[in-house]
Amino acid sequence: MKPLPHNLPSPHVRGVGPRGFPLRLQATEVRINPVEFNPDFVARMIPKVEWAALLEAADTLHLVEVPKGPIEGYEHDEKFLRQMHHVLLEVDVLEGTLQCPESGRLFPISRGIPNMLLSDEETET
Amino acid sequence: MAAPSTVMDSNHHSNYKLTKTEKKFLRKQIKARHTLLRHEGVETVSYATQSLVVANGGLGNGVGRSQLRPALEKCGLVDGLLMPPNKPYSFVRYRTAEEARKAYVALNGKEIVGDLGQKIILYLNFVEKAQWKELGLQALPPGLMVVEEIISSEDEKMLLESVNWAEDIEDQNVQKSLKHRRVKHFGYEFHYENNNVDKDKPLPGGLPDIWDSILEKWLKEGFIKHKPDQLTVNQYEPGHGIPAHIDTHSAFEDEIVSLSLGSEIVMDFKHPDGVTVPVMLPRRSLLVMTGESRYLWTHGITPRKFDTVQASKGHKGGIITSDVGDLTLSKRGIRTSFTFRKVRQTPCNCSYPLVCDSQTQQSSPLLPGSAREASQLEREHVHRVYEEIAGHFSSTRHTPWPRIVDFLKALPSGSLVADVGCGNGKYLGINQDLYMIGCDRSRSLVDICGERRFQALVGDALALPLRSGSCDACLSVAVIHHLATAERRVAALRELVRLLRPGGTALIYVWAMEQEYNKKKSKYLRENRVSQGKEEETDSDAAAVPKSLGGQVPDVGDQDAPCCVPAIPDCLGEGGNASDVTDARLPVHTNRTSFHAQDLLVPWHHKGSPGKDKPVGAAGSAPGAVFHRYYHVFREGELEAACRTLSGVRLLQSYYDQGNWCVVLQKV
Repeated sequence: MKPLPHNLPSPHVRGVGPRGFPLRLQATEVRINPVEFNPDFVARMIPKVEWAALLEAADTLHLVEVPKGPIEGYEHDEKFLRQMHHVLLEVDVLEGTLQCPESGRLFPISRGIPNMLLSDEETET
Repeated sequence: MAAPSTVMDSNHHSNYKLTKTEKKFLRKQIKARHTLLRHEGVETVSYATQSLVVANGGLGNGVGRSQLRPALEKCGLVDGLLMPPNKPYSFVRYRTAEEARKAYVALNGKEIVGDLGQKIILYLNFVEKAQWKELGLQALPPGLMVVEEIISSEDEKMLLESVNWAEDIEDQNVQKSLKHRRVKHFGYEFHYENNNVDKDKPLPGGLPDIWDSILEKWLKEGFIKHKPDQLTVNQYEPGHGIPAHIDTHSAFEDEIVSLSLGSEIVMDFKHPDGVTVPVMLPRRSLLVMTGESRYLWTHGITPRKFDTVQASKGHKGGIITSDVGDLTLSKRGIRTSFTFRKVRQTPCNCSYPLVCDSQTQQSSPLLPGSAREASQLEREHVHRVYEEIAGHFSSTRHTPWPRIVDFLKALPSGSLVADVGCGNGKYLGINQDLYMIGCDRSRSLVDICGERRFQALVGDALALPLRSGSCDACLSVAVIHHLATAERRVAALRELVRLLRPGGTALIYVWAMEQEYNKKKSKYLRENRVSQGKEEETDSDAAAVPKSLGGQVPDVGDQDAPCCVPAIPDCLGEGGNASDVTDARLPVHTNRTSFHAQDLLVPWHHKGSPGKDKPVGAAGSAPGAVFHRYYHVFREGELEAACRTLSGVRLLQSYYDQGNWCVVLQKV
């Protein structure tokens, strides 16, 4: 599971409001895969990034050189884009957990796959 | 090329320098030895004994007894020649070790010609004894009888000539069909779409007159008990077969008889417990199937050009035993079968309800009335099934559908796209300019995405674990039709829309009830028609054939055990209240036929995971198991109507694609 998807998951637990996001990431096994750098692609991802969540994840994963936010003219800043490329596309959490900050519910990440299934009671509205 | 004059094996040390050919030969001999040990448990020894294993000289690689024996007998007195079925080796025992040694020298590396004319090189090694498994005695399936020489040679000639195949020249299917057997029906037309006859529409003319006296004779002599009123003539060329099946219970009475003319054949009978009994049907013999052999055992003919038969029994009818000392290959000829049956006018009341289409409806699940029941039905007949079949299922899902590819390729670079119900990740890698995330309910399928290094998570389509408004686009291909109530299907649509940012689009595909549209049959149906009936057994490992292209294909061309033709009243199909119907049992669909109801169970014939070491299914389910998946197939306009109930969406496109109803939605 790469950090950008981590930006996205949010549990559908009953009663959990907007503070249910971001899920807190804990990783016990991380893999770095080289991915071909496509500046255009990375530039288009930037507006979709939830920075607070990303920075928290980067911190947990002990990643260095992570930009703190989009900078002026980032579309043409190769250094910025390469750093973002690395953190968004090349870091893969293989084993760990995602935790809902509100309910404390833990979702496992195993073989790179987060399991976000809720039990029947949790989904009933 | 015979063996080098010096008997060499890996234990023999010598100063003698080997030539290149000799080295190559030695290498191959050693390789054969290792293969036999590693894969077959055959232990070879380096000293001379009376017995030899002849690698590459077996029934399994097209070497018959008549080719091998003479070559072996030239070297000495052969005590026994054992040819295990389907193995690429045999065992020969000579009277003395000296004779065996002579054979070892003379025949090692010898080239012989196989049954198909191919060149084969034999490699011999000494063994302490021939190792093979002694199988227990088998009995014919109960109710089965083979009556030999029931027709004289003269009558055979006359009867074969009486079949006018030329009549069918207009029939496209016969024309193209050199790949498949030719078929003709009399009395009643047999419909391969639902494996049944239309009892209200008998064919004019009934059975050809030529059969009257013969059938009378069979009745009088007690070979048959009832006068049949339906005849199906099948012509099998070498290489043709018919997949294992049980003749539909509700279509025909107990007794089914089949006359084999022109050539003999081996027919395989299988019991649900897994026992297989191969039965030789000699030329001019009558096969009589009653009772258990008619109702419970499946019968089929493997599509191949040779059968393994008993050398000593020649062409006698009955079981082909497992006496490996006596088996050999027999080349097939053109066989014409005449199958006589009596059409049933009342529902079947046999003692085998589990395989009876008249009776299975009793044990079928009900159409759910509440969300809880729906969830339970989905758990049992969608989620659990996909977990079990994931590996096999994935292997049949390899060809992306073109219009879905188009949708993905048209999205702007850098778009974030969620594939809800991503399955094995078929679409996750299509467009490298997109950031795609897959979501599926099946852990096993999502694991396959993980193996392919795609981003995916396990989640439920009714409670998607993704932030609202975070996606530029969504896919939902072949998912919503697995939800068991209208409310849940709309809820799934609502979830997709929730994920979209304003202006984002979603592409949704669901299986259509109408498998024939604008007079064109979908690929799902077409693959049944072209093969003129039961699909030949194809290996789903041969993934090259894109059978998953177009309409949803639950299985890849395989045996359709005829299931019940549903007798669901129409009002269920109109999406009306389930409670209006007194008996809302879910019918079991017959694959590759038209849908007769909107809510049904579709069989999946599990074939096991090809090429995977561990079973992906939770229980490592056995190949051959049948699973029933729940589907609600959509009528024309139904998906559109469901989308229109959502607020904040615009319908951009609506179309029919190879047996599916499709829409493109946009969030306003």
